[in-house]
Amino acid sequence: MFAGYDFDVIQRSLPYLFRDGMTFTVTLTLIAMSGGIVFGTLLAMMRLSSFTPLSALSGGYVNLMRSVPLVLVIFWFFFLVPYIGAWAIGANEPIRVGAFWSAAITFTMFEAAYYCEIMRAGIQSIPRGQVWSGYALGLDYWQTMGHIVLPQAFRNMVPVLLTQTIILFQDTSLVYVISATDFLGAASKIANRDYRLVEMYTFVAVVYFIISYALSQVVRRLQDRIAVIR
Amino acid sequence: MISLKNVAKWYGSFQVLADCSTEVAKGEVVVVCGPSGSGKSTLIKCVNGLEPFQKGEITVDGISVGDPKTNLPKLRSRVGMVFQHFELFPHMTVMQNLTLGQVKVLGRSREEALQKGMKLLERVGLSAHKDKFPAQLSGGQQQRVAIARALSMDPIAMLFDEPTSALDPEMINEVLDVMVELAKEGMTMMVVTHEMGFARKVARRVIFMDAGRIVEDAGKEEFFGTPRSERAQLFLSKILHH
Amino acid sequence: MVGTLRTTPLAWAVRLGNLYVEIFRNIPLIVQMFLWFFVMPELVPEALGDWIKQMPPPWGSYVPAVLCLGVFTSVRIAEQVRAGINSLPRGQRMAAIAMGLTEAEAYRYVILPQALRIILPPLTSEFMNVIKNSSVALTIGLLELTGRARAMQEFSFRVFEAFATATVIYLLTNLVVVLLMRALERKVRVPGLIAAGGAPQAGH
Repeated sequence: MFAGYDFDVIQRSLPYLFRDGMTFTVTLTLIAMSGGIVFGTLLAMMRLSSFTPLSALSGGYVNLMRSVPLVLVIFWFFFLVPYIGAWAIGANEPIRVGAFWSAAITFTMFEAAYYCEIMRAGIQSIPRGQVWSGYALGLDYWQTMGHIVLPQAFRNMVPVLLTQTIILFQDTSLVYVISATDFLGAASKIANRDYRLVEMYTFVAVVYFIISYALSQVVRRLQDRIAVIR
Repeated sequence: MISLKNVAKWYGSFQVLADCSTEVAKGEVVVVCGPSGSGKSTLIKCVNGLEPFQKGEITVDGISVGDPKTNLPKLRSRVGMVFQHFELFPHMTVMQNLTLGQVKVLGRSREEALQKGMKLLERVGLSAHKDKFPAQLSGGQQQRVAIARALSMDPIAMLFDEPTSALDPEMINEVLDVMVELAKEGMTMMVVTHEMGFARKVARRVIFMDAGRIVEDAGKEEFFGTPRSERAQLFLSKILHH
Repeated sequence: MVGTLRTTPLAWAVRLGNLYVEIFRNIPLIVQMFLWFFVMPELVPEALGDWIKQMPPPWGSYVPAVLCLGVFTSVRIAEQVRAGINSLPRGQRMAAIAMGLTEAEAYRYVILPQALRIILPPLTSEFMNVIKNSSVALTIGLLELTGRARAMQEFSFRVFEAFATATVIYLLTNLVVVLLMRALERKVRVPGLIAAGGAPQAGH
């Protein structure tokens, strides 16, 4: 079955695959993760706010993002961001946003909706009494959130947040559709150049599998440890 | 010190508090009791604005709680509160629990806050546990830490919301002892509790609530001697028989 | 099916189920799509491979896409079935076996009917996911048609329209699915059995 395989092509392209492709993928994942968690937490706080317009706005955003396929969102942002940027700074021509930053913004905005739902569950899992006792000490809303609710919510949600990040890591491969050179994009370019589709795509699958599987094992261990503490 | 005038509160269309008026003078200990669901916990949470109320007026030290212009965090920092389920912050050590408010709200230096915290922990007999996390302490110990945390803000009055009802029987006294001592020192206290022994020992007045109303508001001797309302008599007979 | 496998007491069955799930869960969907598109026809016996490659245009990409989505989704559903079964009190299985039911009968009459009700809400979102994920397949098809490199520069406002339409269609389809599933949930609800609140779950 592997008779016609050319494993050499993989070896030859390793530097390109990892230095260019994987760096892109990992950087994108990290940026989208940090941005998404911060933005998502703010969204979650908005959603739980008693001020109806705020919670409705946030709820609408989250539901919209969650019911549209990521691929479409990537496209939308790729074509719209230059125009929005131009409008924002008052330029006449669409500003040039590279595939990378377009993708970074897209994933941050998109993932924020998912992180929001996780953080919302996390915040809701903190008993009301904790908030009361923060207020009773004289802390204001932001202090209560920052010192009491969010640290606990975050701790409870670490496994789920990480699992979402693993999914994010896999989803970044969709930037392929805007011809960005992520890990998959790099592999695909070589695959098409050398006509070695089978080898390259199999290799890509194996690499993604190893990384995601290793990470998910870490999450699992973390989950067990947290379960013990409770 | 604390004054309530015709306070009323609704959850949707359900009325939880109706026309509640009372006073707590400086240095006075007032016990609030009544069957569950009678609104006593809600009432005490209204006093420092944790629960909003729709009608009436509450003032603490002359400052109106319901006024939107009032700086609630500042007011709350001057009123200590102890909760039924302790509500220590589980992700902080005992000492961190005691210093958080002092540093963040009162703006004390870390050293000052630590010193004050240590003194209060000694007072409640828990100085050996200062670096433990709340989950490593028994319920009684946690509640004593919670009292110390409230005291760390040098409050002008203390509110207790059923401080012993989540405790195992053998731990109730260690918490009550701390509270009795506080009362004897002249702290202004409003206490929601079913511990009638505590009420007899230190309360000056007892308030009895039922269905969101203050049914009885009487001196201790009068309340335990001849309660006027039938509901209070029934309640007392149930609670004192076991 | 696979989800059920993973809760049985048979060690080898659990292991096999785990392996299957892990493989498909840890590889990005688009990479899996590529595997089905490009790699699979090469690995199967030559005649079959050729036959797949020579399928007329819409079918040539349609069949692998459906296979891919099917397998991918089956794995995610497997996870949810497992979670549903595991969320049932252990006493249920013991009670069933104590009544003299065999292991298989216990699953058939006692465990699965309950588990299915529990997992209906997450299944709804899984349903929405399939619909959303199908966009990945569409995209590849689209890109194949237009030619990737050129496409980027030549996107005109006609394409904007196409995307806008697609977005609205996805939104509407998802709305319909949500409504249908809610109706189904109401229909099979067992009185007095409160649906377990949805635990937070990572996913797309």
